[in-house]
Amino acid sequence: MQIICIGRGSYSKGKELAETLAENIGCQCVSREDMIEEAIKSGVAVGKLETAILKPHIFNERLAIEKELFQAFSTKYLLERAATNGGLVYHGRAGHLLLPGISHVLRVRVVADKEFRINDVMNRLNLNRAKAKSYIESVDEDIRRWVRMYYGVEWEEASQYDVILNLEQMHAWNAATALCALAELPEFQITPASRKAIADQLLAARARLALAEDESTYNARLAVRADNGTVSVVYQLQQAEAADKIPEVLKKLDGVKDVVCTMAQSNILWIQEKYDPESESFKNIFSLAQKWDSAVELLRLVPSEGNEQDETIQVTGAPDAAELKSGTGGGRKKGAYNGGIEDDDDEQVEREDDGGLNRTLTELARLGRSGGGRSVRTTPRRLVKAIDHSVEYNLLVVGDVFLSKGHAAQVRMAQEMCGLLNEKIKVPVVMADELKQQFFFGTRQLLNMLAYLTITAVIYFTVFTHQAQILEFLHDDNPTAKILSAGAVFVFVPVVAYVYGTASSLFLKLLRIE
Amino acid sequence: MLGELGGLFISLHFSNAAQVVVLGFVGGVLSGFIGSGGAFFMTPGMMNLGVPGIVAVGSNITHKFGKAMMGSKKHGEMGHVDKKLGGYLLVTSFVGIRIAVWINSMLFKGGGGSHGVGGGAASDLYISLVFVTILFFVAVSMLKDAFSSGGSDDSEGGPSTKLVEFFSRLYLPPMINFPVADVKISLWILMIVGLATGYLAGTIGVGGFIGVPAMIYVFGLPTQVAAGTELYLAMFMGGFGALNYAYEGYVDIRLTMLMYLGSLIGIYFGAYGTKVVKEVIIRIVTGMIIILCVFSRGIAIPMYMRQLGWLNINPGYDIYFNQASKALLFISGITGTLVILFYVVKAYRQRNRTYATLKATSTMKQRMEAAGVKAAGS
Repeated sequence: MQIICIGRGSYSKGKELAETLAENIGCQCVSREDMIEEAIKSGVAVGKLETAILKPHIFNERLAIEKELFQAFSTKYLLERAATNGGLVYHGRAGHLLLPGISHVLRVRVVADKEFRINDVMNRLNLNRAKAKSYIESVDEDIRRWVRMYYGVEWEEASQYDVILNLEQMHAWNAATALCALAELPEFQITPASRKAIADQLLAARARLALAEDESTYNARLAVRADNGTVSVVYQLQQAEAADKIPEVLKKLDGVKDVVCTMAQSNILWIQEKYDPESESFKNIFSLAQKWDSAVELLRLVPSEGNEQDETIQVTGAPDAAELKSGTGGGRKKGAYNGGIEDDDDEQVEREDDGGLNRTLTELARLGRSGGGRSVRTTPRRLVKAIDHSVEYNLLVVGDVFLSKGHAAQVRMAQEMCGLLNEKIKVPVVMADELKQQFFFGTRQLLNMLAYLTITAVIYFTVFTHQAQILEFLHDDNPTAKILSAGAVFVFVPVVAYVYGTASSLFLKLLRIE
Repeated sequence: MLGELGGLFISLHFSNAAQVVVLGFVGGVLSGFIGSGGAFFMTPGMMNLGVPGIVAVGSNITHKFGKAMMGSKKHGEMGHVDKKLGGYLLVTSFVGIRIAVWINSMLFKGGGGSHGVGGGAASDLYISLVFVTILFFVAVSMLKDAFSSGGSDDSEGGPSTKLVEFFSRLYLPPMINFPVADVKISLWILMIVGLATGYLAGTIGVGGFIGVPAMIYVFGLPTQVAAGTELYLAMFMGGFGALNYAYEGYVDIRLTMLMYLGSLIGIYFGAYGTKVVKEVIIRIVTGMIIILCVFSRGIAIPMYMRQLGWLNINPGYDIYFNQASKALLFISGITGTLVILFYVVKAYRQRNRTYATLKATSTMKQRMEAAGVKAAGS
C-alpha cells in the first residue's frame, strides 16, 4: 500500500504532479480541498482553525478540541482511502505532516518558480502582476503560519521531506515518473511495523471522533492513542465527569479490546534506551507524575548507527499494556538494499527485545499514569522530529541513553541531547538522575530550606529592628544618599525575593503543594 | 526620628503588619490566578491602611520587581517570551514610568519641595482616579467577554479582534516582525503601548492590566506569549520603577518585605486554581474582583476631594469613607480568594476520589487476572 504525501504551495504544479502520479501508480488522488470539504460536512470547524492562524489570540479551549478533531479526521480520511484503494496520493499545504510515525510514507515537496506562479495567477484570476504577486505571497504566508501553529515546525525546512522537486524545468509527467521509481525503493514499502502504525493511528482517530460524537464527551479535551487494540485516553481533571463515559463510548467501536483512561493535567515525556518499572528512575518519575497529575509518555530511543545523512526514523508500536504481549517491533530497516524484501528474523529480534517498554507501560497503565509509548531508532538530532509536537509537554526527562558507549561519552552525549531538546522543543529538560534533586524533597532540600529560612529570618529581624535607621537612609535628601538608597533597594529586593521565594517554594514542596 | 517621616512611612505594629501580609497573600493568589500582578488589590489595600498612595505604589512596584524576576525565568523556558517585543516596549515604557513618577512626585509635593498633607491628598486622588478609570474599563471588558460567551467555552471564544484588524488595516510603517509572537507591528503602535504600560505601571503599579490586553487585543498575540512577555517586561519596568521611586525616597522596604511573606506563598495556590477552573469562570471571577476593587477605591475619592477643599463634607466622615472602602476591598479580595481556594480544594478532593476508584478497579482487575478471568473494558 503506497502512500505519497505531497506538500505544495498554491499554483506550483503540485496538483498536476499528484494526479499524474496517482494515475501511474493506479491509486486514488486526494486533494486538501476534498478533505476539507468532507471535514466540514462531518462538523469539524475548519473555518475557525483557518481564522486562528491570522488571529492566534482567538485560539481557545474549543478550538484546541477542533484541532484534535481535525487531526483525527485527516488521519482517518487518508488512511481509510489508502486502505480501500490500495494506496493514496495526497496533495495539500502540509501533506508531509499529516501521517507522522508511518515509516513508509513518501513525503514530497513541490516548488515552482515564483515568476511562473505569478503568471499562472495572473492568467487564471485575471489579476495584474502586483496583485498576483501579493496574492501568492499572502497564501504562502498563510501556509507558513498554519504549519507553524498546528505542527510547530517550519514549512520550508528541507529536512522534513524525503525529496524536494523543483518543477521549474522538469515536466510534471517526468517528475511523476521519477517519483514512481523512488516509491519502488524498499524504504517506501509497507512493513509489519508501518502496517501496525497505520492500524493504531486509524483506531485512535476513530476513537477520538467517536468521543466527539457522543453528547457526554464531545466537549472534552482528550489525547487518544491506540496500540494493538488498547486505546489510551488522557483527559483533564475538569473533565472527570465525562471520563466515566469514555469506556462506554469506545467499547462499541470495532477493534477496541481495552480502554485505559488516565487523568492528567500535564504531560511528561520520558526518553530512555531501556526501561525498568523496578528502577529508581521509574519511582521518581511516577512520584512526580502523581504530584503534577501528569501522564507519562515513553519514547524509547534506540541510537542509530548510521551517519546523519542517511539516517532513518523507525517507529515501532507500543506494547499491549493489557495483555502483556511482547509483540512489537519491526519498521523500516536502514542499511543494504534488499529489493523490498523485509527480513522477518530482524523483526523477531525487535519483538523480543523491547527494552522493557512493555512492562513499564503496563505498570504505568495499572497506576493510571500511562500516556502511551513507542520506540524510535534515530540519532539525537532527528529525535526532535520523532517527538509529537501536537502534545503540550511540561517536562522532558532524559534517562539512560547511549548505553553502548563508555560512561563519560554517555554523560556527554546525553547532556548534549538535553541541550538540543531544550533548544528545539522549548520545554524544561532534565536528566533522570537530577529529578530527585530538582523536584523532590529530601535531606538536601530540607537543609536548603532551613538555610534559606534562617537567612530570611536574619534579614527580616535586622530590617524590623532597625526600621528608623533604614527609613531615614531611604529618605535622605542628600543626592549621594539618594543614589545609594536607590542602589541599595535595587540590589536588596531581588535578594529578599530570591531567598524567601526559594524557602517558601521548598516549604510548599514539603507539603506537596506545587 | 520617625516623626519627620511620619507622614510618609506608617508606624508598623503587629495588627497592620499582619494586614499587609494578608494583602500580599490575597494579591499573590489573585496574581497567580489571573496571571497579572496583584497590585490592583495591594495598592488600594495599603492606602486603606494609611499608607500614602505614592508610597503604596513605590513599594508595590518594588515588590513586583523581585516577583517578576522569579516568574519570567519559567515563562522563558516554555518559549512564551518574545524578548524582541519586550525590548521594543521597554524603551518607551521607561519614558512612561519617568512621566508617571514625575507627575506623582509633583502632586505629592504640592508643587513645592516638601511633603505636605494637601499634596498627599492630591496624589492619592490622582492615583485613585486613574485606578478607577482604567480598571473599570478592564473589568467591564472582561465581564462582557465572559458573559457574551453565554458562560460556556463553546462560543466563538477569545477576545474581540476588531482592534487587531483596525491596526492591521492602518499600516503605519516601519513595521517590525516579531518571530516568537509571529506578528508584525508598527513601531508607532509599539511606542504608544509601551508608553501607556509604563505610565500605568508607574502611576498605579498595574502596568500588566494595560500591557497584556494591549498585546492580545492590539497586537494579536496568543495569551500565553502576552503573559510571558509582560512578565519579562515587568521585571525591567519593576526594576526601573523601583530605582526611580527609591531615588525619590518613596519606597517603604518594610511593606515590600511584608507583602512578599504572603504573596510568594499565595501565588502557588492561585496558579493551581487556573489548572482546575474553567477559562470562562476565571474571567468572571477576575472581572468581579476587579470591579469590586474599583468600587472600593471609588468610595475613597470624596474623602480626598474633601481634603483638597473641593468638597464640603464633615472631616469626621473620613473614617467612614476609609472604613467602607477598606471593608469592600477586603470583602472582594477575600471572597475572590475563597472562591479560588474552594475550587482548588474541590479539585483536590475530586482527584483523590478518582484515584481511590482507580486503585479499587486496578486491584479488582489484578484479582480477576490472578483468578484467570479476563476483565472486560477498563
